Amino acid sequence: MVNKDWLTVALAKGRMLPPALELFEKAGIGCGQLRETSRKLVFTVEEHKLRFILAKPMDIPTYVEYGVADLGVVGKDVLMEQEKELYELLDLKIGPCRLAVAQKCGGGKFNGGYVATKYPRVAERYFQGQGKQAEVIKLHGSIELAPLLNLADAIVDLVSTGKTLIEHHLEEIEVIAQITSRLVANPGSYQVKGVRVTDLLQRLEAVLTEGEATPC
Amino acid sequence: MNEKLRRLLTPEGVRDLLPELAGQKRELEKRIQASFSRWGYGEVSTPAFEYSANFVDEMKAELTDKLYRFLDERGRTLVLRPDFTLPLARVVATHLAASPLPLRLCYGGDIYRYAHGQQGKQRVVTQAGVELIGSGCAGADAEVIALAVDVLLELGLAEFTFCLGHAGFLERMLTAYGVAAAERETIKFYFNNKDFVALKMLVQSLALSEKAKEAILRVPGLRGGKEILAEAAGLVPGGAADEPLRLLAEVWEVLADYGATKFITLDLGLVRMLDYYTGMVFEGYTGGLGYALCGGGRYDQLLGHFGPQRPAVGFAINVDHVLKVLQRGRELPAGSALAFVGYGKAQRAAAFAKAALLRQAGERVLVDVEERPQEAALAEGERLGAAKVVYLDGRAGNG
Repeated sequence: MVNKDWLTVALAKGRMLPPALELFEKAGIGCGQLRETSRKLVFTVEEHKLRFILAKPMDIPTYVEYGVADLGVVGKDVLMEQEKELYELLDLKIGPCRLAVAQKCGGGKFNGGYVATKYPRVAERYFQGQGKQAEVIKLHGSIELAPLLNLADAIVDLVSTGKTLIEHHLEEIEVIAQITSRLVANPGSYQVKGVRVTDLLQRLEAVLTEGEATPC
Repeated sequence: MNEKLRRLLTPEGVRDLLPELAGQKRELEKRIQASFSRWGYGEVSTPAFEYSANFVDEMKAELTDKLYRFLDERGRTLVLRPDFTLPLARVVATHLAASPLPLRLCYGGDIYRYAHGQQGKQRVVTQAGVELIGSGCAGADAEVIALAVDVLLELGLAEFTFCLGHAGFLERMLTAYGVAAAERETIKFYFNNKDFVALKMLVQSLALSEKAKEAILRVPGLRGGKEILAEAAGLVPGGAADEPLRLLAEVWEVLADYGATKFITLDLGLVRMLDYYTGMVFEGYTGGLGYALCGGGRYDQLLGHFGPQRPAVGFAINVDHVLKVLQRGRELPAGSALAFVGYGKAQRAAAFAKAALLRQAGERVLVDVEERPQEAALAEGERLGAAKVVYLDGRAGNG
C-alpha cells in the first residue's frame, strides 16, 4: 500500500489555492510548481516526500475520508455541510468569511419560509435549532438570485465583504458560523503516519503563530 | 418506486455479501477465533436479543438512542445487543460466578446499532473480541493489547498502529486545573473527535491561567513513546495524574517484553466515549482507513452492576473494517479453482465417485445435474466458471 514515509495532501482548486501554497512555502515546503497553470492535478515534492492533489473543494473531505489523501485543506463550510468523521487539526486562517443568513433589505425578522442555499444540511440544522420552519431549496450557485426572483424568502451563503449582497439589495441578518480553511486528517493516517503529520502540523502552526501568514 | 423493486432492496445500513466475500469474511472470523483460542480464551455465545434492563442502565444516553428495541409477547422491552461487553458481564456474574479468576473469554458475532447521518454507516457490525476478567494489573492490560497485535499480524496486516491512552488522565488533569464538569465533558468530546480547532477556541475562552491553557492544549501533541509520560507528568499540577501515568509506564514495560512496542504509540489525548472505561484505553488504526480496526480498554466498575465487582479489560475487532482493508490490499486468499465433473450415459455413479475423490483432495467440485454429451458438458463446465472439466464417457471409459 502507500509508503509510510510519504504524505498526500489534498488542496482546493480556485481562489483558496494561492494563500494555501503561500502557507506551505512559509513552512519551508517549496511548492512553486503548483502555481503554474497547467492541467496537472497531482504534484510531488520529492525533497519533503509530499504529494499534493488538486480537487474541487466539495470533494476534498471525500478524498481524505477514503484515505486517497492523508490530509486536506478545506473550508469549515464544507466540513459543516458534509459532517464526515475527519480530524480537524488546525485552523489555517485562510479565506476568513462567515456563513450567514440574508434576505431582501427591510424584510424585518425572518421567522421561517423558503431558504435557498448551497448548504442544505447546515441550513436545515440551523433553523431547526432555532425552532423555525424553513423549507430548504438546494442551489448550486448564484444564490443571491433566489430572493430577487421570489424563489426564496432568505438565503444561507458565504459572505466575506458583503459587497455582493449589497449589489443585490440583500442584507445580512444572522451569522451561522465564522469560516476559515482547516487542515483535516484521515484518522488512520493521523495514527499510522503520526510522526510525519505532527511534523507538518508543527511547521504550519509555527508559521501561523508568528503571524506571518497573510490572510487573503 | 415500483412495488417489486422496493421488495428487492435491503434496509438502510445492512447489506448482502455475495459468495466470494461472504466466504472470505467467515474465514477471517475463523482465523480470529483460532488466535483467541491459542491464547487460551474460551468462546462464549450470547443471544442476539435480551431484556433492555440489562443494557440501558449501564449506558450513556448517546448509545441508548441507538438501540433497536421491540416488545415480546408479554409487553416486555427487548433490545438487539448493541455490544458484547454487557452480555458477557452478565454471563460472568451468573453462570461463571464460581470460575477461577482471571477468566479469559472471547466472542464473535453481530451487534446492532442505529447509525445516523448519510455516511453509509452499517447498522449491523460484525465484531470479534475478548474479555479478561478478574485481574486489575498492568500485565492483564498488556496481554489483551499484545493479543490484538498478534491477531492483526496473523491476519496479514502489515501497517498498523495502536494508540494507547488512559481514560483517567484528561479527567484528572482538567479537574486539577479546576475546569467545571460541563466543560470537562465538552473538552473530552472534542478530544474524542480530534477537533483541535474547536478545542483551542473553547480552552482559550475559559477563565484559566495561561499555564493551564497551555498545558491542556499541549495534550494533543503528547504522542509517541515512553518519553512523553515524563512530559505529561510535568503538565499536571500536584502529581494529580501520576497514577494513570505510572500505570501506562508499567503497561509499556510489559508490552516491551511481548516485543509489541513497535506497534504502539502512547496518546494521552485518546478518549473513548463509552462511559464505562476506567483505566487504559486503546485503538488500532491502519493507513488510509478512517475508522479504528479495533478498540478497547479497562472497565473495572461495570461488573458490579450484575454481580460482584471485578476488574476487567477487553477489546473488540471490527471484522467488517478488517475485511475492507484486506480486500483493498487484495490480501484475501482467493478460493481454490473450481472443477466440473460431467458424465455420459450410465456413468453417473462413476462421476459421483470421481467427484468424491477430488473433494477429498481438497478441490471444489461441481457435478453435473444430468447426463449429457461430452461437447455439451465441456460447454456447461465453462459456462459455470470451472477451471477444469472432467468427463466420464459411457463408451471410452474415464475422461
